[in-house]
Amino acid sequence: MKPISFLSLLVLLSLCLNATEYAVVTNKNIDALRLGQIKAFFLKKTSYLGANPVIPINLSSRHRIRISFEKQVLHMSFTRLKSYWTKQHYLGHRPPISMKSQESIKAFIEKVDGAIGYMELEKVDGSLKIVYKWSE
Amino acid sequence: MFHKLLLLMALSASLLGDDQESGYQLGEGVQIGTLPLYVGGYISADYQYLDSKSRYRIDDLAFLAYGNYNKLSYMAEFEFKEFYTLSQEQTGYSTQQDTALHVERLYSDYTFNENYMLRVGKYNSQVGFWNLLPINVLRETTSNPVSTEIIFPKFTTGLYGAYSSFNEGDLTIDMMLQHNDDFDAEYNNYDIDEHYGLGITYAKDALAVKFNIGMFDSYRVDKTTQNLYYLLASMKYETEKYQILSEIGTQSTTQGLTTEYAGYLQGVYHLSEKHAAIVRLESYKDLLNAVDDDITILGYTYRPLYPVALKAEYQWHSIHVENQFLFSFSVLF
Repeated sequence: MKPISFLSLLVLLSLCLNATEYAVVTNKNIDALRLGQIKAFFLKKTSYLGANPVIPINLSSRHRIRISFEKQVLHMSFTRLKSYWTKQHYLGHRPPISMKSQESIKAFIEKVDGAIGYMELEKVDGSLKIVYKWSE
Repeated sequence: MFHKLLLLMALSASLLGDDQESGYQLGEGVQIGTLPLYVGGYISADYQYLDSKSRYRIDDLAFLAYGNYNKLSYMAEFEFKEFYTLSQEQTGYSTQQDTALHVERLYSDYTFNENYMLRVGKYNSQVGFWNLLPINVLRETTSNPVSTEIIFPKFTTGLYGAYSSFNEGDLTIDMMLQHNDDFDAEYNNYDIDEHYGLGITYAKDALAVKFNIGMFDSYRVDKTTQNLYYLLASMKYETEKYQILSEIGTQSTTQGLTTEYAGYLQGVYHLSEKHAAIVRLESYKDLLNAVDDDITILGYTYRPLYPVALKAEYQWHSIHVENQFLFSFSVLF
């Protein structure tokens, strides 16, 4: 192996090892979710899972985890989401509520049936259910 | 008078800018206390230069109110349409005012579960993509494609039901039912007393396709009615950088075609967050009015904030006297 290739491999490996892992989490009462459903909840295309209400919770708009969630899970940029929610206002739909910290989201999800949010994987404990994971 | 109104609109836009301290975001409305009631609205003014004539117009001045409580939600939209128009010709100028407040949308939704919902009231006909978001500030050009004006009724008063599923792609099957006169029919493009329509939409990643089929009963000038049938196929491909939107349809009676075809293909390229260039190619053959036209439109949109749009476009028609320049200013608040 050429030295330059070996170096590239090492850099790649170190990036992989440093990648932060995130999770979409819900209350224990929610069953498994498909990615399409998760997107639909956070874009307010539906607010129900079966017949039960679902409450998506965002981190504040410029939070690094929210930016990662929107890019990696929703596949939408901040600008595109801004135009999306402007259009939804005309259609009578509101964006999800926001909370400032992962701790607030965790506490909310533990107490409220149907709540769904996202956070760093290392913050998740047995009180929450992981329904989707991504890394960056 | 007109200049005072324009000044008032510009002032309103500046006062309604993003106010991060109070949490108000322009283009997202405001909640009244803790009630399930959000209010907002939109305004638009435009300028048209056509055949050596100029028209200045405050077109829309509309108010929205909506909210939800458990599985019930509602939407009300009241609008002054063509509120003030000043037309200028070589021989002089004339003004017109329409101060009647119209009911643009008024409906209530009941969501049964993740998959099923039912709507009762007056709503934008859920046909194609353009007619779902037809207001100036949310569309990419000041003008509407001809196909969105002549193939199907823009508003429906009655029932609407939809089935949706969210898997790898989103599937929606929906149905419109009207068996009564329009509610405030003033600005519907057809005066109808029946409308039955079926639609199917599939969206996956950047692509969405839709197919609509329907029948409506339209009043003629002599108050007799005729059944009109329509088909419309639509597609939308949208990425961060560009959007391609296309709709093509046809309309007929039992005796034969009334519109042989009407369609458009529009491309929007986002030069930056605030600037977009638009090209639209349109063509239609309206047999009922014996008109056919091919139109090329070049447009440019500047959005200092997304809910504020300054748009300019020029239209080249195969019917040359229809060549025109349009400019508009619009705000959603």
